[in-house]
Amino acid sequence: MTRILRKLRWVTRRGGKEAELQEELQFHLREEAREAEDAGLTAEQARWAARRELGNVALLMEDTRAIWGWASLERFWRDLRYAMRMLRRNPGFASAAVLSLGLGIGANTAIFSLLDAVVLRTLPVASPRQLVQFTNTLPLWDTGSRNANSLFAYPQLERFQAQSKTMSGIFAGTGLGRLVVGFHGTSGLADGDACTGNFFSVLGIAPQYGRFFQAGEDRARATVAVIGDRYWRDRFGADPAIIGAAITINQIPFTVIGVTPREFLGISVGNGPDIWVPLHALDRLAPDSKRWTDPFSSWMLIAGRLGPGVSREQAQAELDVIRRQVLAERLSASELGGMENVRHFVRDGHLALRPAATGVSSGLRDRYALPLKLLMWVAGIVLLVASANIANLLLARASSRRREIAVRLALGASRGRLIRQVLTESMVLALAGGALAVPLAWWGGWLLVRMISTGDSPVPLAVAPDLRVFAFTAAMSLLTGILFGLAPALRGTRVDPGPAMKEGTHHAGRRSCTLDQILVVAQVALSVVLITGAGLFVRTLQKLWNVNMGYDRENVLMLSVDARLAGYPSDRAGAVYGEILEKLRTLPGVQSASASVVRPVEDQFHLVDRVDQVDGFTLPGRYAIRVEWNSTSPGYFSTVSTPLLAGRDFEARDNQTAPKVIVINASLARTAFPNRNPLGHKLGEATVVGLVKDARLNGAREQPGPVLYYPLLQHGPEQEYRWGFVSFELRYGAGAGLLDAVRRAVASVDPNLPIFQARTLRAEAEQSLLKERLLATLSSFFGALALLLACVGLYGLMACTVARRTAEIGIRLALGARCGHIIWLVLRETLWLTLAGLAAGIPLALWAARYAKSDLFEISPADPLTMAATVAALTGVAMLAGYIPARRALRIDPVMAVRYE
Amino acid sequence: MNTTLASRVELLQGTLDLLILRTLRLGRAHGHAIAKHIQRTSEELLQVETGSLYPALHRLEARGWIAAAWELAETGKRAKYYRLTPKGRKQLLAEQTKWATFSRAMGLVLSPLDEEPV
Repeated sequence: MTRILRKLRWVTRRGGKEAELQEELQFHLREEAREAEDAGLTAEQARWAARRELGNVALLMEDTRAIWGWASLERFWRDLRYAMRMLRRNPGFASAAVLSLGLGIGANTAIFSLLDAVVLRTLPVASPRQLVQFTNTLPLWDTGSRNANSLFAYPQLERFQAQSKTMSGIFAGTGLGRLVVGFHGTSGLADGDACTGNFFSVLGIAPQYGRFFQAGEDRARATVAVIGDRYWRDRFGADPAIIGAAITINQIPFTVIGVTPREFLGISVGNGPDIWVPLHALDRLAPDSKRWTDPFSSWMLIAGRLGPGVSREQAQAELDVIRRQVLAERLSASELGGMENVRHFVRDGHLALRPAATGVSSGLRDRYALPLKLLMWVAGIVLLVASANIANLLLARASSRRREIAVRLALGASRGRLIRQVLTESMVLALAGGALAVPLAWWGGWLLVRMISTGDSPVPLAVAPDLRVFAFTAAMSLLTGILFGLAPALRGTRVDPGPAMKEGTHHAGRRSCTLDQILVVAQVALSVVLITGAGLFVRTLQKLWNVNMGYDRENVLMLSVDARLAGYPSDRAGAVYGEILEKLRTLPGVQSASASVVRPVEDQFHLVDRVDQVDGFTLPGRYAIRVEWNSTSPGYFSTVSTPLLAGRDFEARDNQTAPKVIVINASLARTAFPNRNPLGHKLGEATVVGLVKDARLNGAREQPGPVLYYPLLQHGPEQEYRWGFVSFELRYGAGAGLLDAVRRAVASVDPNLPIFQARTLRAEAEQSLLKERLLATLSSFFGALALLLACVGLYGLMACTVARRTAEIGIRLALGARCGHIIWLVLRETLWLTLAGLAAGIPLALWAARYAKSDLFEISPADPLTMAATVAALTGVAMLAGYIPARRALRIDPVMAVRYE
Repeated sequence: MNTTLASRVELLQGTLDLLILRTLRLGRAHGHAIAKHIQRTSEELLQVETGSLYPALHRLEARGWIAAAWELAETGKRAKYYRLTPKGRKQLLAEQTKWATFSRAMGLVLSPLDEEPV
């Protein structure tokens, strides 16, 4: 302890100690000289003898300082101050380096934080590794390409819970969709889930306030509800008094009993509900008599926790047996027993357990996992290119400091010591860049979440940088610091003091450029990869946008209204919708208006059914036609501009009392009535009255399939408007102020009617290509950044080359070389470097593009046009970067240049 | 720290430390005088490197075996005079015993060589 104190004291008194040591050594020298003089030498000779005897003073002082105390710490401190001083003296270099590093590290961190939130992070629950999600693997012919689903029926859950011995807990849940939550007379929309009573206890999370569901609370008359942290803050002002407060959900009274912890955003990434109610509360919210007994419906997500020491395989084997038992039992007692596809499902389907440590299946994750990983690579490459630039700049500086370093080596500084010092300098740069990166990453992460949010509010994702992300940033900064600092440090200190000191300062630029050339070639090669990628993604986006969708996305406004949320029973909803439609049709500027259940572009849902009766004949199960269906009002096809090929659109007379009619698309006509005119034929009980062109309702990537349209006025009441809401489409001439007019029109019918997802068809279509747009935008941005950085590197190298060859160029000019010749001299080297970069980069780009293949559309990873454009762009910009130093070479004064030698 | 380097430095330092402590037993002295004394008493066999003398002095001071004070030398200049502390006296005794044992052992091992025929 006293030793540490003493050392500390010494550290603080360092200045004084230094002076004392100086004085002590001076005294020694004088004594020595005096002695030598006594021995008969002249004063001059004696002084030199004393100096020689003392040896390397700098080294001696260094050794003595090492004994004083925390030398390494102190050395570091001194290196740090030295580094700061050097950077202050070169503010241009320092700010350029810090800025490019900050951008590079910030971009990496932002994308990493999103990747972490969407793909990597485990759920904030107890022992997340034990969580598994139940999935059905289905026989292939039943479902096309989607041969797995995660939805189950209630009787299966009951049996799993009762019989499983391998699971320590099994819970289930289902989305309630959009809810209207009333509180103190105001109402607002919220997203809700219904879950079994053990949901929170199996997850093992504790409420932030209040409590979670208790045993026995999951029953039909349950009135308890738990709210999410974010909803609690946004809607209820984070008031803890909300516990025990009465709210209404779709006009039905509930009591808030708890608030989830802040970090808990649900168990499916990007799909965090605002409110949870017990599963059996469905009996009040959406009564369905068959819900608890139908064994073949699929509407519930099931997940659970493995028992201690139980492997996923063991649990899966047990649960698969239970599944088969319960289905076989129910099948023999059901009228569905005769249906081939149901038998097939029971016989050939299996239950599989999916690890759910990072959450249950999520559409967001499925969509963005690959793009985010690609972007992570892209951002990493940009950082590499930026690092290479800084390495090159440091190399250039190291060579201009040759003399300084030679002097220091001659004075006895060890090479390790100098390397440490140069590395300290690059570390300071890297850490400054890292510090700049933190706010950039924060902002970038937020921006990215906005970019991938399609709904009315941002996707609930926790992207605010946490410890993991900070650790990532710090590691990233240190790594880049070493990466770009080590080579200059090693090479810069490999100096032979003698010759280096003899060189004039103007020779400082002379050095071998091999390492610099390699770095620049690597930069060009990496840029090729990024620009090719950007090109592929941009072309993909263009192609997708230019696909003929079968509707016209210009000048159409869409909005959804839910009458049920305003308290209308299903049988009165139709009248409300009809009234709204009439009002919308007469709005100024509106050319036509219509209503439908599903929108032309829809990322939320689509409706699927099977047609197994054609003109009275029953098709065997396997040949039933899988159709998507929609219910539309008269005027829908003209409003969205889907051409009517034959027959007629629905009309007002196609009401509930009229004979049943349908409109089909060309695909369905081809499948059900090959080579025949479908008009007048029957599918099920309904007669085909119209034939429309195919429209790509599932997005531009998917080929249109069979679609069946029912008249909303006839089919809606029959289905009792099951989904509650309908979408209205308006084709307008002038869109200005239209939305306000629409809101007033809807409010004039009933001010309580909630309007949501009001946006133009064009905006919705753009959103459906969000992932592609994200990839195209960000990869273009990063590609351009990499190109810019590579060109800066190229420019720097060529400028250095011109400086190095000043004398040679001067002589050439003196001997009468033409300007073109001199420019070509420089450009030739630029060209060679670029070609070398292209030669290395193109195979790399081809290899990398294969990984992005599933995100491309109608374009080969080795698209020749993209490749050609990349090569042209890179060569062009590189030549520009080389031309500036080449021009400067012409300004060399031959006389001055030759005199240098 | 590198171990081979450490053992080498330790060995050299150990000897020098002992010599410094022994010299200071006679009374306080400055660095130059210490070096000259060692040289003289060893009949010039031991040449003290200044490059290691001052680090050694500072190390001994740091360990508390010797203490330093600035005083006027005979020449009238300020000089740093070192003297032995009680702790250093104890250390010197221990080192001396250790050295005696060591040199006796070395002597025992090395002496039979003389008897062997050339």
